[in-house]
Amino acid sequence: MLKGLRSGLVLLVLGIISGTLLAFVNYFTATVIAELENQAQYEALKEFYYDVDNPNYDNFVLSDDYDLSKVKMDDSYVSAIFVVKDKVTNEVSLGYLVSANGYSSDAPITMLIVVNSDMSVRGYKVISHKETSGFGADIVDNDFNVHVITDLSGFDSVAHVTFTSDGIYECFYQVSLRVAADFGGDLVD
Amino acid sequence: MTKLENLLKGLVKENPLFVSVLGMCPSLAVTTSLENALGMGIGVLFVLVLSNFMVSLIMSSPKLAELVKPVRIPVYIVIIATLVSVVEMLMHAFLIDLYNALGVFIPLIVVNCIILGRAEAFASANKPVDSVLDGIGMALGFTAAISLISIFREFLGKGTITIWGDAVLNLKFFFNFLNIEPISMFVQPVGAFLSFGLILATLTAFGNFFKERKARKVKANG
Repeated sequence: MLKGLRSGLVLLVLGIISGTLLAFVNYFTATVIAELENQAQYEALKEFYYDVDNPNYDNFVLSDDYDLSKVKMDDSYVSAIFVVKDKVTNEVSLGYLVSANGYSSDAPITMLIVVNSDMSVRGYKVISHKETSGFGADIVDNDFNVHVITDLSGFDSVAHVTFTSDGIYECFYQVSLRVAADFGGDLVD
Repeated sequence: MTKLENLLKGLVKENPLFVSVLGMCPSLAVTTSLENALGMGIGVLFVLVLSNFMVSLIMSSPKLAELVKPVRIPVYIVIIATLVSVVEMLMHAFLIDLYNALGVFIPLIVVNCIILGRAEAFASANKPVDSVLDGIGMALGFTAAISLISIFREFLGKGTITIWGDAVLNLKFFFNFLNIEPISMFVQPVGAFLSFGLILATLTAFGNFFKERKARKVKANG
C-alpha cells in the first residue's frame, strides 16, 4: 500500500516538473507564436487589397491606403473582425477571422473572409488548419467558387459533404448570418 | 558491446524501421517530401535522445528504479509527452512551415513505438551515456530510413526532391526523357505502402544475398 503511494508520489513529482518545464517553454514561445499568427492574418488581408498593377507587393503596406482596425469578438465562431476603410473612397469592407471544426480534433479550420459593403466576397483564405495531409489539407486549398457569390447574406455555395468542407461551409455560413447586421449598424457581438 | 557498436547498430543492423518495423504510421504519412522526413527525424532525434537519457538516469538509481518500476510506463509517457510538447512549441515558434507540414504527426511522436520501445528495452537497463548513444543511432537510422522512402516517393510522385525550404532538386527531365508524367500515386497513401514494401523487399534481398555469400565463404574455408 505504502509502496503504491510512493510510486504515485514519484509520478506526481514528475508531473509537476514536466508542467514547470512546459510553462517555461511556453513563456518564451507564446509571444512569438502570437506574433506569427498576427503576421499571417495581416499577410492574408494584404492580398485582398493589393493593387495587382503595382509590382512591389513586398513593399505594399495596407495601412498606407486604408484605415485598418481590428475588433476582437466574443463569439464562438468569429474571433475578430478587421474593419478596412478606403482612405479615398471611404468604402468599408469587413474581414472576418472565423473558425469552425473540420476533421481534425487538434485544431479548427481558421479562415479570413473579406466581404465588401455590397455583401460580395472580396476574398477568402484559410489561415490555419490541421486537416489530414493529402486529404483534408487538399480540400482547404480548393476554390469553392465563392468568388461568384455576389450576396453573402443568402449564402449556400459549399456542398458540405465531408468533415473538412463542412468546416469551410460553417465558416462562410457563420459570416453570412451576421454580415448584413454588421454592415447595417454596429458590429453584432 | 562497445560504444561505437552501440551507436552504429541503429543505422543498419537494428534499424528501427526496416528491421524492427516500428513507428510505421508517422513514417508513411510524412514521407511525401525529404524536407518533412528530415524535420520529423530532427524531432525524433531530440525526443529519443533526451527520453533515453532521462529514463536511464531514473532507472540507474536502484532506490528510484524500485519506486518507478510499478508505474514505469506512465513515467515514460510523461517524459516523452513533455519532450514532444517542447518540440511542438519550439517548431511552432521558430519553424512554422515545417510545423504546418508535419501537422498532427508531431504530437503523434508521443506514441511512436520506437521511442517507448527504446526506453523500455534499452534505456531502462543501461547507463545514461550508452542510452544517449543508442538514442542517437536509432534516431539517425530512423531518419535515414524515412529519408530514403521520401526521396523515392517524391522523385517518382512529383519529379522533385525538396531538401529544405526553397532548396528543391528538379528532376523532371527524367520524366520528360521518358515522355511521361510523374506518378502522383506515389505521394498518396497507397504509394507510401508500395514504396515501403518495395524498399524493404530490396533491402531484405540484399541482406539475404550477403548472408548467403558469407555462409558460402565460411563453408569453403571449412
